[in-house]
Amino acid sequence: MFSFLQRYKEPLVVGALLLVPLITFLSSGHRGRDPNFVDRAVLAVSSPVQGVLTWAIHGLGEAVAGYLALHGAHEEATACRNELAEAHAELNALKEAQAENARLKAMLGYSDGTNEPEILARVVGINPTPHVQSVRINRGEADGVRAGMPVVTREGVVGQVMRSVGGSSDVMLVTDPASRIGGMSQRSRVRATVTGSGDGKQLSLDFVRREDDVKEGDQVVTAGTDGIFPRGLLVGTVKEVQRPMVGMFLGGRVEPVVDIHKVEEVFVVPLIPDVVAPVAREGVK
Amino acid sequence: MKFFAFTVLALLLLSVESVLVKALELEVTRIDVSVALVVYLALRSSTLEGAFSSFSIGYLLDVFTGRPTGLYPFLAVLVFLLVRGAGQLVDGRSRGGFALFVAAATLGHGLLALFFIWLTSPATAGRMQSLTGLPLQVLLTAGVGVLLLPLLKRIESGERPEPGLLK
Repeated sequence: MFSFLQRYKEPLVVGALLLVPLITFLSSGHRGRDPNFVDRAVLAVSSPVQGVLTWAIHGLGEAVAGYLALHGAHEEATACRNELAEAHAELNALKEAQAENARLKAMLGYSDGTNEPEILARVVGINPTPHVQSVRINRGEADGVRAGMPVVTREGVVGQVMRSVGGSSDVMLVTDPASRIGGMSQRSRVRATVTGSGDGKQLSLDFVRREDDVKEGDQVVTAGTDGIFPRGLLVGTVKEVQRPMVGMFLGGRVEPVVDIHKVEEVFVVPLIPDVVAPVAREGVK
Repeated sequence: MKFFAFTVLALLLLSVESVLVKALELEVTRIDVSVALVVYLALRSSTLEGAFSSFSIGYLLDVFTGRPTGLYPFLAVLVFLLVRGAGQLVDGRSRGGFALFVAAATLGHGLLALFFIWLTSPATAGRMQSLTGLPLQVLLTAGVGVLLLPLLKRIESGERPEPGLLK
């Protein structure tokens, strides 16, 4: 037996190196495993390197942009002051609406589900394989980030945390083919599933009935029905609607509101487990 | 020793690549540095050492995806064996030969990855979109592979004593 192993050591070892990951892959499929200590060690080493490189590239870009921006800065500053004044007026009106909204919510017994502050994070790298569309951010378990948390910017939805370790997390982008978001048309309130197309540029609109009212130019927002994303976040704009001659559902293309490949800073939203609960709770009562 | 040197180099290169790809705003195109390292190992190292090193490089790539499944360590060892087999027939040690091997391996790696994902994942239609970035990926990886070649040779020569050094 020993001599057999000695004799065929090379093919046996190479065969094991080939078969063990293959069996793991075929048994776990696209779900992936939880990070083990080796994964954590790899991420602990690579994340700071990515952070430093990102900082250096960003710093260089800022310096060049800052130099170029000096030209015509005075005119720009004047325009900005005017815009700021307008924004202040708009903000004031929004605050009034917010206060009224809060009063009405209190009267209805509505809960937002969380009072946790959003976690600001910087994107430090992108996944080096094109088959899984994800980015790495510089906030992890130590900062309160957990797998499943939604990731957004001021403009709208970016994705969802799929793995979080010590000081970094990986975020599955909305453009990944495994990404599913419960969405709805802001205009007509028609619900849809927004799915990543895998090309990094667009999303598809699924499970919308042919007769439903969806048009090009409609804004798609989160419906809050997936239990992950809070209601009302902007996902994208409908760019194309196809109504096939047969079949129950129409097809559509949505352009994400966030330019996934240019996003630098994001907010991780602490989990809101009962984001859809107000309606459900009312039903139970 | 070569195992550790190539694993550390792969970790560093993958970290740099992930930042550069973002800075260059590439959508589905990547620079597959891990394939370039595996090809070099297949052409210039022993079977066991190369297979272990390829496995570790694939493992790192798997961890970098954010959703490790075991696919990339498997593909790295498979590409290692395929390139090693092809290397018996065609010489890939010159600069041009190495570039051609890297290009072919990148193409094979990308197609095999899609095939195996298609086997296990129902949401395959979207993943086929990543094929659009494959031609550019092949060119970029071959170019980077040629640029890396002197560094890889230096790592290898650093481990071997110069002939006649102990005279």
